[in-house]
Amino acid sequence: MKTLVACIVVALALAVVPLFIESPYALHIFILLFIAVALGESWNVLGGFAGQYSVGHSAWYGIGAYGAFILLQQKQIAPWFGVWVAVALSVIAALAVGWITFRLRGPYFVLASIAVAEIIRLLSLNTKDLTNGAEGILAADLPPLKFGNTVITDWISKTPYFYMGLAMALFCIAVNFFVKRSKLGYYLQAIREDQDAAHSLGIPPTFSKNAALAISAACTALVGSFAAFYIGFIEPNQVFGIDVSIQMVLIAIIGGIGTVAGPVLGAVILVLISEGLRTTVAQAHLLVYGVLVIVVILVMPEGFLGFISQRLRRKAATR
Amino acid sequence: MNALLEVRNVSRFFGGVKANVDVTFSVEPGIVLGLIGPNGAGKTTLFNCITGFYPPSRGDIFFDGQRINGFSPDKVCKLGMARTWQKVRPLAKLTVLENAVVGALCRTNSVAEAKEIAFEQLRVVRLDKRAGVLAGGLPIGERKKLELARVMATRPRMILLDEVMGGLNARESEEIIELILEVRQRGLTQVVIEHDMKAIVRTCTRIVVLNSGEKLAEGSPQEIVNDPRVMTAYLGDAGGAKA
Repeated sequence: MKTLVACIVVALALAVVPLFIESPYALHIFILLFIAVALGESWNVLGGFAGQYSVGHSAWYGIGAYGAFILLQQKQIAPWFGVWVAVALSVIAALAVGWITFRLRGPYFVLASIAVAEIIRLLSLNTKDLTNGAEGILAADLPPLKFGNTVITDWISKTPYFYMGLAMALFCIAVNFFVKRSKLGYYLQAIREDQDAAHSLGIPPTFSKNAALAISAACTALVGSFAAFYIGFIEPNQVFGIDVSIQMVLIAIIGGIGTVAGPVLGAVILVLISEGLRTTVAQAHLLVYGVLVIVVILVMPEGFLGFISQRLRRKAATR
Repeated sequence: MNALLEVRNVSRFFGGVKANVDVTFSVEPGIVLGLIGPNGAGKTTLFNCITGFYPPSRGDIFFDGQRINGFSPDKVCKLGMARTWQKVRPLAKLTVLENAVVGALCRTNSVAEAKEIAFEQLRVVRLDKRAGVLAGGLPIGERKKLELARVMATRPRMILLDEVMGGLNARESEEIIELILEVRQRGLTQVVIEHDMKAIVRTCTRIVVLNSGEKLAEGSPQEIVNDPRVMTAYLGDAGGAKA
């Protein structure tokens, strides 16, 4: 209850931010943050709860991005409709892949997930008619969003992206919150802890993992198409590349895997570090970033959230 | 009387290794069947075949008249047959209550209802005071009890216990024996793998002895204890010490 109130307060505080901050750069950082939160939470459903460490989530991200872009470019379907088609496509593709790869466990599943994302990346590079290959696609001008005859936004300022990003991040957090407390959530966590024991207690492992993957892929695709329209340009290596997948894994691991709040914390830390470094140490930012990530993982194997709660427990115990 | 579980000529081979050969027995509702035999006799393999972790190479398994060869473990559990593991498998990062909730969700879609069922079972095994503790932090005695609570929470018609007393001290074993007797009194059918003969004699209605994968003998506890073949195969080679 207390946490719910706190969440609402934070969300409301964030909602008024664009009223006071006009700097596009500050808004840009917030939007990056929302994307990172949503990505981390999306991955967490499968990686955190079910313990299936997919390093191929760029596949669903990219299908979301390309799906919505191609529908707008070639069929003139507005993104706010096209996105849902892209999400559906991504779920269908994910279930087909899950049906095959969930026969594998542990590191073999990880390798398979990377392979699948690579296959889709290569496909997108080579189906030029559809994807424009390596040249990528520059977003067409977005049709203005109208309600009746009043134009709500023409998509020029960053403010509409800010609110959409915020809504998306909150949605992904809510998905995690409800999945964790649902029957499926218990099933997934049981599978993560011990698949055979779970199986013997009446849990169908493959079905449950596929359900988690479907939810995870749907959220990821949603974020993918939002990010694509925000950036305005996509190409195969950027959206289907392993960088996206690794970023999703890192956000969850650094924040605290398998928790609802963890990816939020991880996103804040990673976005701030990466932006901070980019503006201070310039070319060396990726190197420093990498070293920092290694240090964090070594010092806090349970993520920031686990680290903090462990400290609190120890403090309480010594008192 | 109609058997609840019927194992008919079941064999299980791993390559050239014959883990079970032509094993036949049946379990009537309400009894406690003891499954004993020296290490490597094929007791756990038989459990794995019965609960669907791998299909028998030959032979048939019937549960309540239905042939269940090749059924997946979750389906077997849904039918009403739940098993524990010789090497305990707590869901370490979940709490004791959550472990039992996972079992209870086998029969209900409501997490709230599952929590009630789970708590009730924790009370039966006297773990209710530990409900909020992470299962990974429990000592072995409590882990074994948790295994029991978890399978009971699936509301089974029959439970298969794989060495629930293994590694326990005398007092802890006594608690488990009492739990088995309590469950027996409630009429729940049980198949128990155990090495401790005293526990077996006290809890079981009938005993099946396996040796080198084959059924060596079957009978009442008294018959089995006095059977010279069992003495040589099972008790004799342990030199009288508890295995």
